[in-house]
Amino acid sequence: MSAATMTRRERRKAKRAAREANAARVMPPEGVPLQLAIASVGVRMGAQIVDILITFAAAIAILVLLGMAGLLGITSFQGLAALLFFAIRVPYYVLAELVWNGQTLGKKFMKIKVVSHDGGPLTAHALVLRNLMKEAEIFLPGTLLLTVQVVDPVSAWISTAWVAMAFAIPLSNAYRQRLGDMLAGTHVVHLPVPILLKDLARESPRAGPAKKPAFAFLAHQLDHYGAYELQTLETVLRAQDQRMDQGHYKRNQATVVSIVDKIRRKIGYADVVKPDEAVTFLRTFYNAQRAHLEQRQIFGDRRRDKFHDAQKDEA
Amino acid sequence: MADESALMRSARFRQEREGDWQRLEELVTKAEKGGVQSLTFAQSRDLASLYRQATTSLAIAREISLDKALLAYLEALAARAYLSVYAPQESLGGLLGRFFTTSAPQAMRRCWPFILAGFACMGLGFLVGYLLYLENSEWFYVFMPQGLAGDRGPDASTGYLRSVIYDDDPSTSGLGAFASFLFSHNTRIAIFVFGLGAFACAPAAMLTFYNGLAFGAFYAVHVDRGLGWDIGGWLSVHGVTELSAICIACGGGLRLGFAVLFPGQNTRREALRVAGRDALKLALVAALMLLAAALLEGFARQLVQDITARYVIGWGVGALWLAWFVLGGRRRT
Repeated sequence: MSAATMTRRERRKAKRAAREANAARVMPPEGVPLQLAIASVGVRMGAQIVDILITFAAAIAILVLLGMAGLLGITSFQGLAALLFFAIRVPYYVLAELVWNGQTLGKKFMKIKVVSHDGGPLTAHALVLRNLMKEAEIFLPGTLLLTVQVVDPVSAWISTAWVAMAFAIPLSNAYRQRLGDMLAGTHVVHLPVPILLKDLARESPRAGPAKKPAFAFLAHQLDHYGAYELQTLETVLRAQDQRMDQGHYKRNQATVVSIVDKIRRKIGYADVVKPDEAVTFLRTFYNAQRAHLEQRQIFGDRRRDKFHDAQKDEA
Repeated sequence: MADESALMRSARFRQEREGDWQRLEELVTKAEKGGVQSLTFAQSRDLASLYRQATTSLAIAREISLDKALLAYLEALAARAYLSVYAPQESLGGLLGRFFTTSAPQAMRRCWPFILAGFACMGLGFLVGYLLYLENSEWFYVFMPQGLAGDRGPDASTGYLRSVIYDDDPSTSGLGAFASFLFSHNTRIAIFVFGLGAFACAPAAMLTFYNGLAFGAFYAVHVDRGLGWDIGGWLSVHGVTELSAICIACGGGLRLGFAVLFPGQNTRREALRVAGRDALKLALVAALMLLAAALLEGFARQLVQDITARYVIGWGVGALWLAWFVLGGRRRT
């Protein structure tokens, strides 16, 4: 699709997607950019709630211990509870992120992590700063709000506005940084999970009749598709290895046959492909197409998708 | 299995390096579970070199391979390894030691104009509050936050004021509760003063000034009754430390606000980040001083009733702080 035919909304969407993709890139000192998906505000709030529960439980445990030891007066209870919660909370975040490399227990639970904005290592300064700012950003006005009966409406409104601002700032930048993150030069990412799937190109399609290759493709037949179509086909082929129930299997079979028909029509493949050979055909085609595209790529001809010829004309 | 030569280039590429990747994955998992210190020497050496190999593999794979699964795997693996290799390596003890011996006093010395400005805000507020009260005692109710001074307003009798200053049984008079309330109040003030500094200085300076106003009026109440010297002693015990802490927090806030107002060659965000390095240390020093003030308040003020001793303790501790800031972290030449 060319830029002229894009509606305004689509253009804005594309712009935002590009900004987000750009934000998810971290440049380590090795100079190979890595993709680390930015954690959303919701996920981080989940982690924050887990952390609050943990620190709160610790404070209550200590209070119960003090109470059993008989050191607790009724009058001092509330003040002591608040002070204890404060005294546990402040060092907890700093020390946890220092010791566990940018993860509190809540962040571990949600599988997110603090990383340095510039790709370098996390510094103690950054971790202390971002967690102390959390105190000023969220906890102080938050507790002020929760004890709203005792304070006058003016300070209640101020703290409401303050908390609203603290939540609005992460929503307004692509890195989802809070104020403390900005000062410390950090942001929070999802931990990626490395799963190595087997290489489709290495299992040669055995199902066809032995000896002679089941299907063969000519060079001009492989000139139609680009990387996008290839990788979509890869997804379909990987799905073939999963276990399927009866209905699912039938639907899958119909899909595979229709894909084969589409491909045959597009590339002008004359021979008939029997339904039970459809998957074998696709595997063979995947291998041939991938080899062809990778070959072209090495020669500097990167084909993003099937519109690659049109793009070349435009350029 | 298809034989080697029949494989396409990207599949061969993967086959040759797969073992290394899996070994890296094992090492990364181990380092994430037990920390990098749980690795042996050989393992940590391998972690670093395998990580660099993996990033190279990733760069090559992006060029030559169209296997989506492989690209996603390498991307995730290299990112995980990057996070373990570039984890903070400092020990907690070393961090604390460095803070106390060098970085905190050095930051204090670098920021002296801002801290001075903080003290000036408080001092001016104090002066204005004091003078205004002497002019008209009604000002007291304007400046003083509700309930902060307890019953110790202009209406209280001189005898009552004296009894609060010299009282050896705090639990009956409610002074203990007042002290802890004052402490939490001042802590909150210090945190707000610091945090609000980022908004172009003004809120921090105003809040400090206002705090000085209330303090000045409170002092004037006592001076009015001829208790000036006594209240000075009562406040000195912890006040020297505590009010200095507020002024230092204000200095940190002003440092941040100054960076926002005059970023110089940097962008505002960058300037704020740079200023944050010193401002944070000021905030930590202020927090430490507030903690010390709470201890002084909780114990020393109730135990020491002699007025001279109160002055000595309060200003002696203040001198110790000053000595730390002035002398700490200087390189011997």
